[in-house]
Amino acid sequence: MNGDAQARTKVLVIDDEAPIRLLCRVNLEAERMEVIEASDGPAGLEAAQAGLPDVILLDVMMPGLDGWQVAELLLGDERTRSIPIVFLTARAELRDRARGLDLGGVDYVTKPFNPIDLAPLVRGLLDRVARGEREELRQEKLAELRASMSR
Amino acid sequence: MSVEEERGIEQRGALLHAARLVAGERGLDEVLDELLGEAMRLLRADAADCYLLDPARRVLRCAAARGFADPLVGFVYPADRGVAALALERGGPVAVETYGEAVHELPHAAYRDFDRVLAAPVSWGGEVRGVLGAGLRREGGRTFEPGALDLLEALAGLASLALAGEERSDERARQARIGAALGRIAALLSEPLSAAQTLDAAARAAADALGGEFAAVLLPEAGRLVVAGAHRVPRGLRRREPPAVLVEAAADGRSVAARRVREDARFADGWRRAGFEALLAVPVDGGGRGLLAVFFADEREFGRDDLEVAGLVARAARAAILRDRAFESERIARALSQQLARSGNALEPELDPVAVLAQVAEQARALLGADAASVALLEGDELVLGAASGPDLEGVVGTRAPSTGWLGGDAVQLRAPVSSADVSADVLHGGADAVLERGHRAYAAAPLGGREGVVRGVLAVYAAEPRAWREEEIEALAALAGNASVALANAELYRRLALEHAQSSAILANVADGIVAVDRDGRVVVWNAAAERITGVPASEALGRTPFEVLRRELESGQGGTNRLVPIMRGEEEVWLSLSEAVMREPSGEVAGRIFAFRDISAERVLERMKSDFVSTVSHELRTPLTSIYGFAETLLRSDIGFSDDERQTFLGYIASESERLTRIVDALLDVARLDAGTLEVQPVPIDLRTFLSEAVDASSQPALGNGGRFVLDLDEEVPEVRADPEKLRQVVDQLLENAVKYSPAGSVVRVEARARPEAVEVTVEDEGSGIDASQAERIFDKFYRGDETQPGTGLGLFIAQGLVSAMGGRIWVRSEEGGGSRFTFSLPVANEAEAA
Repeated sequence: MNGDAQARTKVLVIDDEAPIRLLCRVNLEAERMEVIEASDGPAGLEAAQAGLPDVILLDVMMPGLDGWQVAELLLGDERTRSIPIVFLTARAELRDRARGLDLGGVDYVTKPFNPIDLAPLVRGLLDRVARGEREELRQEKLAELRASMSR
Repeated sequence: MSVEEERGIEQRGALLHAARLVAGERGLDEVLDELLGEAMRLLRADAADCYLLDPARRVLRCAAARGFADPLVGFVYPADRGVAALALERGGPVAVETYGEAVHELPHAAYRDFDRVLAAPVSWGGEVRGVLGAGLRREGGRTFEPGALDLLEALAGLASLALAGEERSDERARQARIGAALGRIAALLSEPLSAAQTLDAAARAAADALGGEFAAVLLPEAGRLVVAGAHRVPRGLRRREPPAVLVEAAADGRSVAARRVREDARFADGWRRAGFEALLAVPVDGGGRGLLAVFFADEREFGRDDLEVAGLVARAARAAILRDRAFESERIARALSQQLARSGNALEPELDPVAVLAQVAEQARALLGADAASVALLEGDELVLGAASGPDLEGVVGTRAPSTGWLGGDAVQLRAPVSSADVSADVLHGGADAVLERGHRAYAAAPLGGREGVVRGVLAVYAAEPRAWREEEIEALAALAGNASVALANAELYRRLALEHAQSSAILANVADGIVAVDRDGRVVVWNAAAERITGVPASEALGRTPFEVLRRELESGQGGTNRLVPIMRGEEEVWLSLSEAVMREPSGEVAGRIFAFRDISAERVLERMKSDFVSTVSHELRTPLTSIYGFAETLLRSDIGFSDDERQTFLGYIASESERLTRIVDALLDVARLDAGTLEVQPVPIDLRTFLSEAVDASSQPALGNGGRFVLDLDEEVPEVRADPEKLRQVVDQLLENAVKYSPAGSVVRVEARARPEAVEVTVEDEGSGIDASQAERIFDKFYRGDETQPGTGLGLFIAQGLVSAMGGRIWVRSEEGGGSRFTFSLPVANEAEAA
């Protein structure tokens, strides 16, 4: 693991809850990742366009623009389209998770989550994306969901 | 119109014309000439002539002739020659079929070509005065029509009148009257009248001609002499049995003259005091021997002239009767069939069995011109009178007679019509029929058929006087009974269906579920009140259309099924139906229709959705603090990172505050449970709101106003103490402050007011947020309702606040305009003095 600046993974955390942003920052920075934060949808869009992160962790339930809308805007924007999105959702229903994947998210994390798992998740995801398997990853997650939905 | 009928009308027209001629003021020769013209038209004769007799010289002189090449008028020949001689000799009309053979010596060469010849004597003053003749030439090969001789005789009667008028100029006025009377007969005859009307007209003509008070034509019927035609005859006399003197005179073809009936032993008491003093009756032969009787108001001597005039009228009447008889059968048949057709139409729309019975009785009476009619239905072995038509029949409906009884019973037993021209001859009929007992003498009945040939009852008609029922009439009665049976069966079926329909309609109208039935074509045939209410579409709009046309939504599914969820639009509003469907099938398996039953489960659905949303919301609300607690705990447990004390403090602070948040949520849930169960307890104490609100705002200021806004307190100088539970009150105020901040833009002002009102203090929290619209304002205190579903929250805050305020004896409300901020106000009761102290 080189500490070179150009090699550091940049993660954008969009969540209206300050404690959760802090939680993500502390645990990702501990894994030598760079974290930028946004406390609502519009700020998140701006940060994504300006900072061009490698991964976006996106909360769903936010006042104003919610996570679904932010994701659509990000995926509809030339500049941010390629950034993989991981939804952070407290909504337990399977259909809410499926919705995130349907919109184009590549994975989801259900609250409450163990923050220690965040960095490995981001890393693994970026490896797959780097191998050009972004769509496969998304389909795998969808298939997992469908499997649990049909149970 | 048949040729016969046309001919009848033509004949009457000609007679009318002839009668008017006679009544006119023209000269005899002219009148006779015109009469010949009418005779030729009426009889379709090739020629006609009229000779007058010179009794002294016994010669006949031609007074008028038509249809001859030679001028015959003025031609004279001996009275013992030709067909005229036969007529003179016989004193009555003569028909000759082979003129050449019957007449040895032709009176004139003009008669050479003739084959068939008719002649009728023209009489006046008891003597033959001349002869009216008509002939057909051999070359035409034609024959006279039946009744031609009668017509010629009638014309001869008119010629006699003309002659009398000429001879007795002093009686011209009287003759004119007589003529007018005959004209009246003819005028009436020119209309298609019934035989009865013709006879009435003859009676009137006789009364007019002789100056009588009233008159009657008496004809034999069923072995008795009855009034067949009448003019102003009193009802009492009409129904009275004619005295023997008249019956015998009729039978013998004699005249009867009674100058003073009052003192005339030949007449029974009833006839002596029947409103007339004198009577003149002359024989009239109308298909049976009868009398033409004229009644006079005063005593009267009768001369030969009177007899003559009466005889003339009688003859005219006879011709009319005979001619009308020829058409009577056909006319009756036609009238009956028309009446039957009318009755069929009239019966059809009648769907109440009782009304059908009444209609049938009415129709039967009209059909046969009867005085009364009744319908009796079989009940067990009795005939129960169900309906009656006619005068003076109160109380007959409902009377019973044995079904094996007289006549009516016969119709039942024989399953065929029965009739009696005069029941008084029958001693067995007593008590058999209530209508008959109300003074009826003639009776006819036909059985009312039921299904499979079962007799259901009897349709009967009655006449006050003896009456011979014609065969056509009995047939028509039977036909009407047939119609009536069908109508009755229909009405009963309809009534049964109507009853069933009414029952099912009543059920359908009262069920809470919407019921919609469609026929095999999918068109709506039932749309009950609940369906109207649930869909918002009135039945009148839905019937006859398909559910899809009505609701823009297919109700049908392939295979039926229960409790399907189907959304429809009621106006702008979406309504969710829980729909069950039953498919009705023909025995063949073909779909005969479908029945849909549905409930509006929108409200339940909304509640379900709110509950489900609540679960997911609460889940979210619980998961958020849990994420922080769990996450920071795990983070602190990481041995690979060395955290500073400050960091540790921050993490632990979050764990603590998020745990409190979790507790608050759980408390809120408990509050809701208590509010729902009615077990929420408040412990009210007097509270000084000025102090209380200042503290609340101060404490809220720090965490709540992270967005740069501020609180402004606007409290009345004098605010009395209120009664409230401090903990619950704080919960309410915090909730309102939190909401105000949450829905306000950054940097805005939240005002907190306290206003003293009589008996209460009102506390208002006003924000500068986006406000809420009217529909939201209505529901904002509802459980689980969340104005903005993207905002975190359980949808319980205001519900709980309302419950708490209410528990403390106050109330809470909101005023807002969309975009203009919101004002939430609650009131609390003022603490009384004792408590305040």
